[in-house]
Amino acid sequence: MTINFTSKIILLIFLFASQIFSQNSIKGKVINQKGEPIFGASVIIVGTSIGTSADENGNFILSNLKEEKFDLQISAVGYEKRIIKSVQKGKTINVILNESTIQANQIVVSAGKFEQKIEDLTVSTVVLSPEIIKKKNYITIDELLRNISGIQMNLEQVSIRGSSGYSKGAGARVLVAINGLPIYSGDNGDIVWEMIPTNDIERIEIIKGPASSLYGSSAIGGVINIITKNITKNALTNFRTYVGFFDKPAYEVWDWSKQYRRFYGTEITHSNSSGNFGYTFSIKKFDNDSYRQSDFYKRLLGYTKLTYNFNETDNITFFGNYLNQNRGNFLYWKDSRNALVPKDDENGNTVKSNRFFSGLIYHNQFSTYLSADFKASYYRTKFTGYGIEVTTSTADLFRTEALANYKFNNKFILTSGVELSSANISSNIFKNPSFYGGAAYFQLELHQIENLIATFGTRFDLMKLDTLKVKNAVTPRFGLNYKITDNLVLRSSIGTGFRAPTPSEVFTTAGVGAGIDVIENPNLTYETSLSFEIGANYTLSNQISLDATFYQTDYNNFIEPNLTKEGDIQFINLPKARIQGFEFLFDWKISDELKINGGYNYMWARDLNKNIAMKYRPRNSVNLSARYTQAQFEFGVDYRFASKVEEIDNALVQPPLALVIDGEKRVPIYVTDLMAGYNFFVMNIPTKIFFNIKNLFNYNYVEFIGNIAPIRNYSLSFEIYF
Amino acid sequence: MNKILLNIIFLLFSFLIISCNKGIEPSEPTGPFGFSGKVTFIGKWPEGVKRTHIVVFKNEIKKVEDFFNYFSFIVDSIPYGSKEFKYNSIDNPFNPNIKLIPGIYSYVVVAQSKTPEITLVRSDWNVVGVYCISGDQSKPKTLIINPGQITPDVNITVDFNNPPPQPPM
Repeated sequence: MTINFTSKIILLIFLFASQIFSQNSIKGKVINQKGEPIFGASVIIVGTSIGTSADENGNFILSNLKEEKFDLQISAVGYEKRIIKSVQKGKTINVILNESTIQANQIVVSAGKFEQKIEDLTVSTVVLSPEIIKKKNYITIDELLRNISGIQMNLEQVSIRGSSGYSKGAGARVLVAINGLPIYSGDNGDIVWEMIPTNDIERIEIIKGPASSLYGSSAIGGVINIITKNITKNALTNFRTYVGFFDKPAYEVWDWSKQYRRFYGTEITHSNSSGNFGYTFSIKKFDNDSYRQSDFYKRLLGYTKLTYNFNETDNITFFGNYLNQNRGNFLYWKDSRNALVPKDDENGNTVKSNRFFSGLIYHNQFSTYLSADFKASYYRTKFTGYGIEVTTSTADLFRTEALANYKFNNKFILTSGVELSSANISSNIFKNPSFYGGAAYFQLELHQIENLIATFGTRFDLMKLDTLKVKNAVTPRFGLNYKITDNLVLRSSIGTGFRAPTPSEVFTTAGVGAGIDVIENPNLTYETSLSFEIGANYTLSNQISLDATFYQTDYNNFIEPNLTKEGDIQFINLPKARIQGFEFLFDWKISDELKINGGYNYMWARDLNKNIAMKYRPRNSVNLSARYTQAQFEFGVDYRFASKVEEIDNALVQPPLALVIDGEKRVPIYVTDLMAGYNFFVMNIPTKIFFNIKNLFNYNYVEFIGNIAPIRNYSLSFEIYF
Repeated sequence: MNKILLNIIFLLFSFLIISCNKGIEPSEPTGPFGFSGKVTFIGKWPEGVKRTHIVVFKNEIKKVEDFFNYFSFIVDSIPYGSKEFKYNSIDNPFNPNIKLIPGIYSYVVVAQSKTPEITLVRSDWNVVGVYCISGDQSKPKTLIINPGQITPDVNITVDFNNPPPQPPM
């Protein structure tokens, strides 16, 4: 199903020209949000048959009008129609139409390695539009994910349905990919959200369940696949800038700086095509003073995408991404009276990093039935941490994949592929390990029985992490999708997953302060999972959509950080863990102007051997969102709740270590965000202004021990297309 | 119908918004806290002892792994052959990184080890004295540490001729 707040919001803007060209005419221009003319848009006077169409430049003119005022209806295929009331004769109007709200049966998802309708999937999947990122002044995608039901962020670590706790970026259980190319680093195996070019996102696909059968190790908890935009046929430049500040802390004793701390950024993106060649260039500078001491960042992101169409069936795409970052390194507060100040021995710590990600995708549509893709990527990460000790790591990760899709007579679709990957790491904290992996997979989707789709797939992985023994894994998966009626769809799947320990989990040897060391564990082994879900989606009169899912995952050898008897931290395998849950989602279009959506997630996550809750997993969470649009104005409110987590890293907050003083302080999470936007023209250039208040009630909470989440902050963004 | 549902949603929003408070608050400021007392030794010290410490556990040790799980604090080493040792947890911590926090601790002992380096392995330690009720070493006395206070008279008698019951080993 789709989520309303991410769906396209209607924009309709008109500005009366100062010049009257004719007392008996109305003229104007119809464009989309990007400023592109909408050829063929229909313009009709409501209640009459008088009308016209926009030309190739989007211009229209209605002549010989007798009445003084009219109601105009403007519509076009793929866009939401709009009625403009009381348009005065003799005026010029510019109209922006927004793309239609995408209906569930129109959404296409390619996270399954071929394009599928979202209603045909056998696992819970969400598709998000990028518009919300700009409207809410989200700087990175992880901020957006916090408002998605079933997804939890523990600082920068993403967890889908409880798949991850917090391990300071060492390893991930959710695979993040750009156009299907995984973007995890070679050493930590972590996701660097800042790397993702938010200005070039077409949609974000989220698979809420294990996808190891297609993606392998890192997808044991799910997949977030980011699809970039198609390059425009005409020159299009987008300029966006934002500025904001954090409010004063809720308590005077926390006001360490006596200033309003600022954040700001600017990005410019240009896209164009010439013949068969197309390009997009983007550069973004974003800085944040932070509400906490020693927590600033300064980032510079450069992004480019080049495409070349050899002919109608062959094309090649290259994209490259470079991030330079200098940031503070705040992890734990000094104590709850100094909640926005780091521990004394960590104050002033900084991290400098450079990351470069590049990908190449060659696509060949051999015939209606057969297509093939060759994908290659190279990801270089380098960081240097400055503290009591200097820590460094440089990792080079290479990855190639060849996949083919064969569709036979609309009865079955076969997807198969092979992958090779390798990584080399040079580090003074992870040693200098290397990694090699190979995999082969296939998935068969059958449409033999009317209204029933069955999928079966499996993947074989072979991998070697430095001194660890060669390991292989077979991860089959089976799924069903059954349309009982046009409005009611059932889905079910059962599948296995596995996850290899990352080099950082195995080999990290470093001090974390207070005399505590992280030590290596060469005996760390691979974790595996068995997952099951059953769900139903019900659509009522295109206005209300309901979705319910029960899910369960059993983990073996779950990898978690642990305190040893010698007082060190070491990653170990938990013998058994189980996560069960229920998720309910709703999407309600109350009127053209007002839409609401939300979700409730109940999650029971247990370490079965100790019979205690798994760390950093809230049992209950709620997300609610409402959007209201009226002409050129739009308003939004988002609310999220998560119950107080039952278990944390107690060893770090209790004697004898008590590394994080007052670290046991944690509360349920209640966060409310507000958004207001105004769309208008400046010299015929579509312009958007958005004002946001995040954490409206300045509620103080933690996602990780001793780490206060962002306090109330205000931001204003300005964006134009030309 | 829509109006009713809309009202319900707004009520829900209002309830959720009103239900929240300010969340995490700063703790009240406190002065130094800890405990103090003296350890009295009776009898001849055993041979080969490398270290003798006052060790604080959150709860009584009922199984081997509790020794590690409930370990909370350790006072600096008592010199070999001492007859009496006066201490203060603030002045005599074994390691400043090992911190005590206000709370209730159910098992406070004097323990000896024959290993040169300190470990948290149960078998390396021998309990030789217990902070107890009325001199009965089978009845450990609870140590209460309040914020801003130093709990006095946490006195322990070590009688090498009459050792206390040993926790599971």
